[in-house]
Amino acid sequence: MSQNTNGRMREEGYWRSLQELADTDDFRRQLADEFPEGVEPSVGSVSRRRFLQIMSASVAMTSMVGCRWPEETVVPFAKRVEGTVPGEPASFATTLEIGPVASAVVATSYDGRPIKIDGNPDFPGSLGAAGIFAQAAVLDLYDPDRSRSVVHTDETGATESDWDAFVAFARSHYRSTGWDKVAVLTEATTSPSVHGRLKSVADKGGRIYAWEPVCRRNEMLGAKLAFGTPARIQLDLTRAEVIVDFDANLLQDHPTALRNSRNFAAKRDPESGHMNRLYSFEPSFSVTGGMADHRFPTAAGEIGAAVWALAAELVLGEGLALPAGSGIDQGGLAKWRHHAAGTDHVAALAHDLMTHRGHGLLLAGTRQPPEVHALVAVLNAALGNVDHAIAYLPFDRPEMGTLKDLVDDLNAGRIESLVIAGGNPVYTAPADLDFAGALAKAGTSVHLGHRVDATSALCTWHIPRAHALESWGDATAWDGTHLSVQPLIEPLFGGKTMAELLSAVTSRKPRTGHRLTRETYYALTGGTGRMPKVDKGFEKRWRRLIHDGFAETPDSVATPSLSAARIAPPRGDQHLGTDNLEIAFVQDPSVHDGRFADNAWLQEMPDFMTKLAWDNAAMISPAVSAELGVKHGDLVMLDYEGRTLEMAVYVLPGQAKYSVTAHLGYGREDAGTVGQGVGFDTYRLRTWDALAGGPGLKLRKTGRTYPLATTQDHHAIDAAGADEIQKRVPRLVREGTLDDYNAHPEFVDHLGLHSPPLVSLWKEKEYTGHKWGMSIDLNVCTGCNACLVGCQAENNIPVVGKDEVARGREMSWLRLDRYFLGSPDDPKCAQQPVACAHCEMAPCEQVCPVTATLHTDEGLNAMVYNRCVGTRYCSNNCPYKVRRFNWFNNFKDLNETEKLVLNPDVSVRARGVMEKCSYCTQRIEKARVQARVEGRDIKDGDILPACAQTCPTDAIVFGDLNDPASRVSGRREIKRSYDLLDYLNIKPRTSYMARIRNPNPAIEPAGGHGHEGDHGEHGHQDAAHG
Amino acid sequence: MDQTATRIDNTLDDPTRPVELILGDNDFTSITETVSDIVLEKKTPKAWYIALAFTASLTGVLFLMIGYLFITGVGVWGLNNPVSWGWAIVNFVFWVGIGHAGTLISAILFLLRQKWRTSINRFAEAMTIFAVICAGIFPAIHVGRVWVVYWLFPLPNYQAMWPNFRSPLLWDVFAVGTYATVSLLFWYTGMVPDLATLRDRAKGRLQQIIYGTLAIGWRGSHRHWHRYEKAYLLLAGLATPLVLSVHSVVSFDFATAQLPGWHTTIFPPYFVAGAVFSGFAMVGTILIPARKWFGLQDIITLHHLENMNKVILATGSMVGFAYATEFFIAWYGGNPNESFAFVNRAFGPYAWAYWTMVTCNVVTPQLFWFKKIRISLPVMWVMYIFVNIGMWFERFVITVSSLSRDFLPSSWAYFKPTTVDILTFAGSFGLFLTLVLLFIRFLPMIAMAEVKTVMTIADAHSGERRSVGDYHGDIPKTPEGGEG
Repeated sequence: MSQNTNGRMREEGYWRSLQELADTDDFRRQLADEFPEGVEPSVGSVSRRRFLQIMSASVAMTSMVGCRWPEETVVPFAKRVEGTVPGEPASFATTLEIGPVASAVVATSYDGRPIKIDGNPDFPGSLGAAGIFAQAAVLDLYDPDRSRSVVHTDETGATESDWDAFVAFARSHYRSTGWDKVAVLTEATTSPSVHGRLKSVADKGGRIYAWEPVCRRNEMLGAKLAFGTPARIQLDLTRAEVIVDFDANLLQDHPTALRNSRNFAAKRDPESGHMNRLYSFEPSFSVTGGMADHRFPTAAGEIGAAVWALAAELVLGEGLALPAGSGIDQGGLAKWRHHAAGTDHVAALAHDLMTHRGHGLLLAGTRQPPEVHALVAVLNAALGNVDHAIAYLPFDRPEMGTLKDLVDDLNAGRIESLVIAGGNPVYTAPADLDFAGALAKAGTSVHLGHRVDATSALCTWHIPRAHALESWGDATAWDGTHLSVQPLIEPLFGGKTMAELLSAVTSRKPRTGHRLTRETYYALTGGTGRMPKVDKGFEKRWRRLIHDGFAETPDSVATPSLSAARIAPPRGDQHLGTDNLEIAFVQDPSVHDGRFADNAWLQEMPDFMTKLAWDNAAMISPAVSAELGVKHGDLVMLDYEGRTLEMAVYVLPGQAKYSVTAHLGYGREDAGTVGQGVGFDTYRLRTWDALAGGPGLKLRKTGRTYPLATTQDHHAIDAAGADEIQKRVPRLVREGTLDDYNAHPEFVDHLGLHSPPLVSLWKEKEYTGHKWGMSIDLNVCTGCNACLVGCQAENNIPVVGKDEVARGREMSWLRLDRYFLGSPDDPKCAQQPVACAHCEMAPCEQVCPVTATLHTDEGLNAMVYNRCVGTRYCSNNCPYKVRRFNWFNNFKDLNETEKLVLNPDVSVRARGVMEKCSYCTQRIEKARVQARVEGRDIKDGDILPACAQTCPTDAIVFGDLNDPASRVSGRREIKRSYDLLDYLNIKPRTSYMARIRNPNPAIEPAGGHGHEGDHGEHGHQDAAHG
Repeated sequence: MDQTATRIDNTLDDPTRPVELILGDNDFTSITETVSDIVLEKKTPKAWYIALAFTASLTGVLFLMIGYLFITGVGVWGLNNPVSWGWAIVNFVFWVGIGHAGTLISAILFLLRQKWRTSINRFAEAMTIFAVICAGIFPAIHVGRVWVVYWLFPLPNYQAMWPNFRSPLLWDVFAVGTYATVSLLFWYTGMVPDLATLRDRAKGRLQQIIYGTLAIGWRGSHRHWHRYEKAYLLLAGLATPLVLSVHSVVSFDFATAQLPGWHTTIFPPYFVAGAVFSGFAMVGTILIPARKWFGLQDIITLHHLENMNKVILATGSMVGFAYATEFFIAWYGGNPNESFAFVNRAFGPYAWAYWTMVTCNVVTPQLFWFKKIRISLPVMWVMYIFVNIGMWFERFVITVSSLSRDFLPSSWAYFKPTTVDILTFAGSFGLFLTLVLLFIRFLPMIAMAEVKTVMTIADAHSGERRSVGDYHGDIPKTPEGGEG
């Protein structure tokens, strides 16, 4: 009870209420269930009152520079703060760091509470786009499982403590321990302030170690091998005509994935004649592989051989001269020339690269060993691609010990006190290191974490970590640009940043994050010595930085010349087979390395390829499935390096034959209410020597099955159904090759169902004012899911959980339809975002008995929630099945904190009500108000629906179809624009643009299609028999 | 009543003689006594109490399930995104279909002067009412926000909002509403003379008051009979189009939607035929045990049942023909989405339901071509059960299989019912049977007045032909001869 009192004391007892009391008890019970080890975090939840205090303080302070000011004074909100309009959202530029990747974002705050994160439109690295993690991070801010106070554990057990107690402890502890016995384990960060703090630890003699479960270390080491210096790879896809992606997934997993996607899309414009060609070698379907003109399913361990085969073909077949310092034994190349991993098409690929010298790009993925990266760098240099599409930016990587070094030092007793600044190494450490065991050997351990996780449970101190939206800080973008992190809200639960924690460790008087950040920037911008109290020049720079969110991009540095000594070729054949499978550990597209496991939006977001939500699974190829008799949803025993894990199987078309992909980040027992025990913990199979995985996996049937929830193909599809899908998809996702398109620009019209002239029985309504419409370009849609999360955050879309998803009741307004075409071993993949198309002749409208869905004067198919009775007839009659029904009261279980993330501009839908995409009607109204205030008409581009705003490839364009100059009208004029299910004559306002592939004629000759079940072929059949 | 060990077979088709519709040694008095004694005199059998306890419990389950549904949400059913309509709508169409036999028998057969209808019309009409009650529950509870379901009615309201007259669901409200009203009126009007009989024979004060009130002052005067017959004829005229309209309108729920498998012009006649088909089967299912338990074999004779079987054969064949036509049009129409909907029905994940339906609805009624089967009580009862099952599955196949796989394969899914679905459906049978039990206990289940008009002794010329049982030649024995 002592904690209870403590918790209450801080919240001022005089407005205590019975409800609060009840709430508290509930909360305690919940916590007790959740943390049986006896660690009891704080008990007081943030009440509405407390929140209002925090909020008013934040708002008051934001008025000064557009951000929270450091003086932590509470200003009553009774009088309106000058310069603020209640209910008017304000946006602030800040930065989110996810692993070693910092993304510049704009966070929107509504009356002091952050509700949405978007890409920073001014930052060249994103241009307004934001990835799924950045967008979903706002939900983590309100995660009820975040820890609420410092927890100190000693012999007597865990007790709630506070920051001051820790500071007092740190003041004496580290000096008395002796700095050589103090170690800091940091997660990857690009923050100069944190690096400054780490440096001061090192300067005092402390040891620094770094651990990031999914890192780009191999890429750095590869560059070091080739150039003698670690480097960050900078890409400019606008300068690449031929791209070869070796398991790099450059459109999603790369630090500049957003910019890569934008630039890639710019080069996929068949109308302007800019069409690049993308080749992909990868074990499991990635976003990039889905976009590839030629995808070669290749086991991760075979990719090295594939690169060598390509190198051999380039040098021996095409006569490519290797530059000095390439470190390649030319004589040894011959044996690689016809290596099977290179596929039959390696000659064509090599020829394509040679004809596009200087306009090509080869890239290897982070899971490939450094030698592969080095060879790729050499090939890029030899082909003249370096400093065009790809540059290797030398990068001063601070020397830090690895996690293995730390474990060794801990076990050897060299470390008495450990500070774990971020991360959750007890969960993420390779299984063979036994990090938990080593951690116990440190007498004192401090962990900074968002929640009391597995690591905190084993540490003597737990410090709650501030969310990025609560923090002052900085970061460095991949190209070296300095980025700023500013808070939008006071730390809800008193969290601290990494820099603040390290400051408390190293300084007698710890400085605030704000001061640390300013000092760092002062030093970075040429300031020397102590920062003066008043420096007008600096203030100006500082305010500029805080306003923009980023400083000027530093001048790019040229790639150093090659200086490789010897690049070792891969070892011999791996002899993969059903008894010797390869396992590939891959960061999960939904929860990353597990840090987002408690994020309900991301858990519910279906994987872009498997459509799996709320789980990970061992992805196996159809061939292995057939050979081992293992079916989708079977529980199997994975046996790897002497460790076993029971895991469900997902049979993924296009998976490299003997490669099994296992996503990391699931199966957390410490993730909190959302992520608790979701999926399978593949870290338990991962070893230090094979972080990326490798051969030697055995897969055994257990005879049991496991329910996997997918948002598509909810149930197994029978042969007749599968056959029908193959026939139908070419009509739905229309596509052709570049040659087809050039020869027959109107080819899409022949791909649909033949229908009699589509006439209306009555005079149709004419739209004289605005006529909103959308166009989605399937040619550049990568299926990255960013639009889904954007829509989720903007439109208060409820999360329903695994069971409901398994029943087919997911609520997402926008879904990405994914189809495979052709042979399951090497299929093509088609992605198609589908949301309400706002049909002019909307079938949903005429069947609603209470006119709850009807047309607005601008042609929006509006949903009147409070008129809806819930007959669901509209959904039955919707040919796109984009309407979502609230089967239950989906918001019932949200607590007060969780409700804060809701967008006040969008109604929260009640139980029994139908909902669907509204084209972000609230944004249309906002733009209308703004235009009216400014006394003008709405301009094209004023209205950006959430999906269009965040789309990294600009695939989604929204605007006024009555405005001939609008982008969306322009797109409709393009010949490859078509309406989905046009034969129904429903006149959808959302149209699609056909996908154009650009296959290499040497691999896929024109007319004779390389893959079975090719689109064009089917399309013509349909046109003929229709 | 005199249970003669042998009964003449009135199923012989002898065109030279009128059919004996009432058998046994019956005169007007015995008819009155047979029917009204069930209500007034006879001790209520123990079996009735046991049956009522069972069906009332089942009804309780229905209301429990509805309560749970109201508290929790429509998600307690197995519905999902493509399959937004499931068992609730299937049950609705099923029960509305059951209700068709009553109106057909009372209205159309009345206008066609089919005398044999008199023995079964009261029963069939009562079943119509009860089936429509069961049917009416489902669309009301299946909506997401049941507390505003009255918005479907064109009630004056502060928003001055009309319902959407383009929506077939609204047509349903009117069609089913009208049907229920007219059926109830028809049933009650026809019952007035019999209620008066009960009033006159009742001994208890309470019975006298209740039946007296219900008999609305019927004295059997010539003027009463004159008005009564006119009203009855008019109501029959009114109800006749309703027999065709109500299920046509119900079929519009599907036919006007553009979903492949629903969007079919054949639906209205096909649904009406199916409805009559299922309605007769349900009447038969209940009538066969009822006539035995209450000793009504002389009034509801094999001839009546055989006639019903003939109707089942005719409508069953129509239904089978409609199935075939659907397939033909799906192919002939040339729209691949439409043709797939039917291929999917027969060979997709719901093939089991489809073939259950075909077996029960197409194959089973064809056995009624054989007279032996037509007049065999156990066989026909089993076949009625098959038809009931088949017709439920027909609605299931149409509703669910079409929805589960529509235009975009990405949204395809499989519907599985939950326990709540199953218990709700079972509960609706509980309600139906409870009402039937109450009806046979408290109301005259045979239209006494009407039956008397078709008796041989009511025929002025009867004496000229023959007396009861006066057959030439051997008297054939019925299969049920010897039963007690």
